[in-house]
Amino acid sequence: MILYPAIDIRGCAAVRLTQGDYARETRYDVDPVDAAARWAEGGAPFLHVVDLDGARGGAPQNLESVRRIAAAVSCPIQIGGGLRDAASVEAALGTGAERVVIGTAALRDSGFLADLLAAHVERVVVSVDVRGGRVSLAGWTETSEIDAAEAVAELGDRGVRRFLFTPIEVDGTMEGPGLGELLRVAEATSAEVLYSGGVGDLGDLRALASAAPANVTGAIVGRALYEGRFTVAEAKAALQGA
Amino acid sequence: MTRIAILNYGMGNLRSVAKALEQVGAEAEVTDEPEVARRADGIVLPGVGAFPKAMVQIRERGLDQLVEERSAAGVPILGICLGLQLLFASSTELGGSPGLGLLEGEVTEIAAGGLKVPHIGWSPVEWERMSSPLPLGIDPGTPFYFVHSFAVRPRPDEVIGTAAHGERFACAVQRDKVFGVQFHPEKSSAAGLALLANFAGFCARTLTAA
Repeated sequence: MILYPAIDIRGCAAVRLTQGDYARETRYDVDPVDAAARWAEGGAPFLHVVDLDGARGGAPQNLESVRRIAAAVSCPIQIGGGLRDAASVEAALGTGAERVVIGTAALRDSGFLADLLAAHVERVVVSVDVRGGRVSLAGWTETSEIDAAEAVAELGDRGVRRFLFTPIEVDGTMEGPGLGELLRVAEATSAEVLYSGGVGDLGDLRALASAAPANVTGAIVGRALYEGRFTVAEAKAALQGA
Repeated sequence: MTRIAILNYGMGNLRSVAKALEQVGAEAEVTDEPEVARRADGIVLPGVGAFPKAMVQIRERGLDQLVEERSAAGVPILGICLGLQLLFASSTELGGSPGLGLLEGEVTEIAAGGLKVPHIGWSPVEWERMSSPLPLGIDPGTPFYFVHSFAVRPRPDEVIGTAAHGERFACAVQRDKVFGVQFHPEKSSAAGLALLANFAGFCARTLTAA
């Protein structure tokens, strides 16, 4: 399983939210490039960058920061947040990011998803963010009636090859991953699943590595890295089962 | 300082290559002008996209002649990803196209044997020839980051590294001072930077020897 340190950009700074709540923000780096460079130099194999302003506003707001991150780090990055139309996706890929992470738009606009998959199938990650087993939309500010496992199965049938799964209740809490929910969602698809949320210590990463099915290929870690609970190297080793 | 020209023929994001070279202490210049590239101690041919289109854009800028001329003058050249493929005689991509022809052999689709194409992700690289300057100090099996659908078919004695995706394919090649790698060293963490530092160092030594 591959480690994806997370960099959430809000107002040009690197921050972490608790349970996706924009009112509960912890600010870590004035310049997100500093955070990105720190994780990349520590040996991160991939970075997960989220434009929080974009996620809430519905269109990317911090692509210049993303461009600077992509140029500064010697590892691939994926970018998400507010990518809800073709122009935004092309702009995001134009920053030098390897992949785009889309959420709301994949579920609400099947034409957009089909076009996106036709053009960039290997560069698309569909984010399925879940509260109480139901899919959450619009930067986690709305909850739908859609069951998460059903959504993943259906999107997989439509050609999505890679998902990002986040149980919102645990995100940013460092109280352990939502393993039960992850298993339910991962088993609903043969596509790759990246997991995000609640990782607080190396034990959580070891639990993920041992409990998750083979199609769970990555773990996104934010706050625990920023707060120095473990290093990038330690996290990588834990995900290898060490 | 070692000056390295990154040839810009209008395809791909070149800033990460430039930044990575600067990080290892080289002076990197992104250019599409043969005159500027002519002053460099080493040349990097990057690339993302389709082979035939890249060749058209290279020829439009006169960079095909520039690469041939600099290679003949003994200036080290490093092709990255599509840039590696372009160094070969020809490719079968999109109906086929001749390449720059600095390396013998063809570029054909990777025989992934049922695995996903393109091959995207971190794959371990086995170094077949440790005497090459490129893998100096890099452990066998260290993973590098790949994004490609085609693979080069070089002369066996010019293969310096291989990786596997369905088939085992050449991912690092050297003929005299012409080098190429299929993976993206600028996206391959510390090992990628080490490889770029090795190339920059080779350029510096070539300059001193000349």
